[in-house]
Amino acid sequence: MNRVRYLAPIVGLAVFFGAWEALVRAFDIRPFVLATPSRVIQYMGRFPDDYFRAALLTMRHATIGFAIAVVVALVLGAAMASSRFFEYATQPVLTLIAVTPFAAYIASIKVGLGSFSEKPVIFIVALVTLPAFAFAAADGMRGADPWSRELLASVDASRWEVVWHLRLPSALPALFTAAKYNTGLALIVAYLAEGGAGGLGAIGARASAGNQGDRLWAAIFSMAILGTISLVLLNLLQRAVMGWHASQRSQGA
Amino acid sequence: MTSAVSLSGLRKSFGALDTIAGIDLEIDHGSFVSVIGPSGCGKSTLLRVIAGLEPATSGQVLVNGEPAADARRHKRVAMVPQHPGLLPWRTVGANARLLLDVNRRANGSTTTDPIQLLERVGLGSFLDARPHQLSGGMQQRVALVRALALGAPLLAMDEPLAALDEITRAEMRGLINQLVEGRGVTTIFVTHSISEAVALSDRVLVTSPRPARIVADIEVDLPRPRPDDVDDDPRFFQLCTRVRHALLEGAAE
Repeated sequence: MNRVRYLAPIVGLAVFFGAWEALVRAFDIRPFVLATPSRVIQYMGRFPDDYFRAALLTMRHATIGFAIAVVVALVLGAAMASSRFFEYATQPVLTLIAVTPFAAYIASIKVGLGSFSEKPVIFIVALVTLPAFAFAAADGMRGADPWSRELLASVDASRWEVVWHLRLPSALPALFTAAKYNTGLALIVAYLAEGGAGGLGAIGARASAGNQGDRLWAAIFSMAILGTISLVLLNLLQRAVMGWHASQRSQGA
Repeated sequence: MTSAVSLSGLRKSFGALDTIAGIDLEIDHGSFVSVIGPSGCGKSTLLRVIAGLEPATSGQVLVNGEPAADARRHKRVAMVPQHPGLLPWRTVGANARLLLDVNRRANGSTTTDPIQLLERVGLGSFLDARPHQLSGGMQQRVALVRALALGAPLLAMDEPLAALDEITRAEMRGLINQLVEGRGVTTIFVTHSISEAVALSDRVLVTSPRPARIVADIEVDLPRPRPDDVDDDPRFFQLCTRVRHALLEGAAE
């Protein structure tokens, strides 16, 4: 069973990249449209430091923005879960943020906060990932077990104690679901917003402008690797802090 | 000396719905009093009003001489809810400590080490287990320990055995007797079960259908400490019959 568990994904990926390589070669596709995986890896191997440093920078932008969104969402979520008025007032704003295409206002925010600074990048990542986190936090906190709430009320636990001991842990499953969705989103937003601020997005933007297929696809590969690493880290974190939850238990327990 | 619980002219309504219609009651210190009545009659509401979780619409509720809301703030009422309400992210030991961990300033000098109590109820080897690993009866034992650890002078139990199977209920009955007898704790025990009420109590209060009034106040003169085979005592049978008749008469009025 375990061998299947580890072998199957490798087989799946090998078939995918093999087919890709074969198709590009068979139809002689231009590298800018689609570079072969072997070519991309060779290219990345020639400038390992550049891609590594750019990837770290993109990771930094995405992580800081993501973290700010989590903190703001927890505060908003706790307030939304305890006040219907606040919830109804906040919902349309969050929805507006969620449905407005961030790509459309990136340029404006960059002009406002400085095109070569990382501030607009982090700001946009935080803004775009906020709605999913805030909705998850509010729903999760409001869904806290009513028996436990009554029990804490019976000894006059403070509002903060109820959040810390009951509402926050109750919201963890929803928050992790939102985090998995937001991980990919944070990286995409960082990549698109980077431009002059450095990172993989800057490499990608220059490669696109200069019609450099190898360079562009090396940036895309790096993004895929970053995303994969981020999701693995997130799953490890979830296992560590949510070991009590049914979703994290091995079957039969 | 003031009574452990003193109700005078207690009324409670939710909007147009009268739930409790004028109850006057004095409960002695250290006594075990059951409240039994038809489903939906307002027994649980009565308990919640005494525990200070729900304000009375009119009348006075004193717990050891202080208003119920103050008793709650000072952690002088320990609740055992119908559902154990254990927090899945806390271990058994940490769940037993929950009520001591919040509103700490109000912890009295009579608190008891929850670990010791867990050992007494046979859960000494489950301190690090999670609630999902326990049976329903074991979970309810943790809930009992969680309340007793507070060392509060009043114990308020809301049908704590309702969800358990027959065999476990009998076990729990004996355990409650053992734990509560000789502690000087006053207990109010809401139940649907006539035999449970008689086996545990010094006094059984029978309530009418909603709005709740007390239709019978029956003294239980069975020996203390209560033997486990108290059911075999002919007086037990007589008392059960009296309670049953009072319930029928109360419902017919």
